[in-house]
Amino acid sequence: MAKKVVALIKLAIPAGKANPAPPIGPALGQHGVNIMAFCKEYNARTSDKVGLVVPVEISVYEDRSFTFVLKTPPASVLIKKAIGIEKGSGEPKTVKVGTITRAQLQEIAETKMPDLNANDIEAAMRIIEGTARNMGVTVAE
Amino acid sequence: MRKALVKNWWDIQVLCDPALEDTVFWRFELLGAKGTSSQRKLSQRLIHTYFPQDTFELLDVAAVALLMRQDALCARLPIPQISWGLIDEEDWSRSWKQYWHPQELGDRLLINPAWLPTPKTDRKIIKLDPGAAFGTGAHATTQLCLESLEMRLDGVGQGAIIADIGCGSGILSIGALLLGAKCAYAVDTDPLAVQVAAENREMNGLPSDRLVVQQGSLEQLIATLAEPVDGILCNILAEVILDLIPQMGEIAKPTTWGILSGVLLEQSKLVADTLEQHGWVVATLWRRQDWCCLNIRRS
Repeated sequence: MAKKVVALIKLAIPAGKANPAPPIGPALGQHGVNIMAFCKEYNARTSDKVGLVVPVEISVYEDRSFTFVLKTPPASVLIKKAIGIEKGSGEPKTVKVGTITRAQLQEIAETKMPDLNANDIEAAMRIIEGTARNMGVTVAE
Repeated sequence: MRKALVKNWWDIQVLCDPALEDTVFWRFELLGAKGTSSQRKLSQRLIHTYFPQDTFELLDVAAVALLMRQDALCARLPIPQISWGLIDEEDWSRSWKQYWHPQELGDRLLINPAWLPTPKTDRKIIKLDPGAAFGTGAHATTQLCLESLEMRLDGVGQGAIIADIGCGSGILSIGALLLGAKCAYAVDTDPLAVQVAAENREMNGLPSDRLVVQQGSLEQLIATLAEPVDGILCNILAEVILDLIPQMGEIAKPTTWGILSGVLLEQSKLVADTLEQHGWVVATLWRRQDWCCLNIRRS
């Protein structure tokens, strides 16, 4: 019989650097998950992606055991990587930090598609475009 | 008590449309957050992020709330709801321990959480409070290492001198000493782990000259060991082990053996090949779940 899932938790954390500090400690500790065991598993499976944020979705079962699935990096991380900027703008309306092309938006949308709440690639692109604009990144028309 | 390490954190919570999740992450990242956690709440996401109390101003939350409101308006999504509160680090670092029970390992060992009474058993008992250090005995790699140690230290291995690289809570060194090793030299680059390992040494009634705990890595052992060791323990991760292998021979003699774990099965060939290039052979490879443990000796 399948074990019952009691919590589904998503963490957006730097690859290969998991430790028991927040956000991992509070998120997993409250569900009785062995925090250090999770850190070891996550760090092992993301050690080749150090420097990126690699979100992870953790299923916690009633016996406190867990499984997890790695997700795609946040759109903001992929946008920064695509156009080669260190960080977004604190004032996106007035201070622009770069320009992203439609092709780059589409590529990011395709990467993120499995994790986005979008029915088609156009809808996914609109979500990515919204994040880009909020970061002060202009979308080339 | 590890009072010096206790601190409070601001727990900032954002209830928002799932499409805003990446933007919320990015807003917090700009403020220096080390990540977020989130859970589904009906059709929305409840996102948490955390900042140390002493490095964060609540004014920053007010500013970021305003920006998130703008983000939502631009994307024609509902305005996120933001709230916050203080949490004590100790609350959650202890919370999982209530589910941790005594655990038998191999034929001769039993891991007993330090806060539980000592059970009646013929097994050797490792009393353990891992705190925030790695090594509870619950992970497949630690189990494989302890079971390998049991085999190695049975009979001819008695009286061995051990090096434990990346000792974490000290569980492997303590296990080795209880199984008959003469002494263990344990190192970890994390000062917290060094502190925890020393506390666990005291808890198990082991003298500091039988379990020597120092901050550092293999270089520290090379610099301080008076003689080569009989056995090397290393339960970290494949990437770290690969970096250590070229120098491991410097604390070894022709009869030295090693127990290496923290290696995923898919990484085992690369680790084995690297070992062979540096004068070691893999005698046996034990696996559990997706992990393996390499029992090695000098070639």
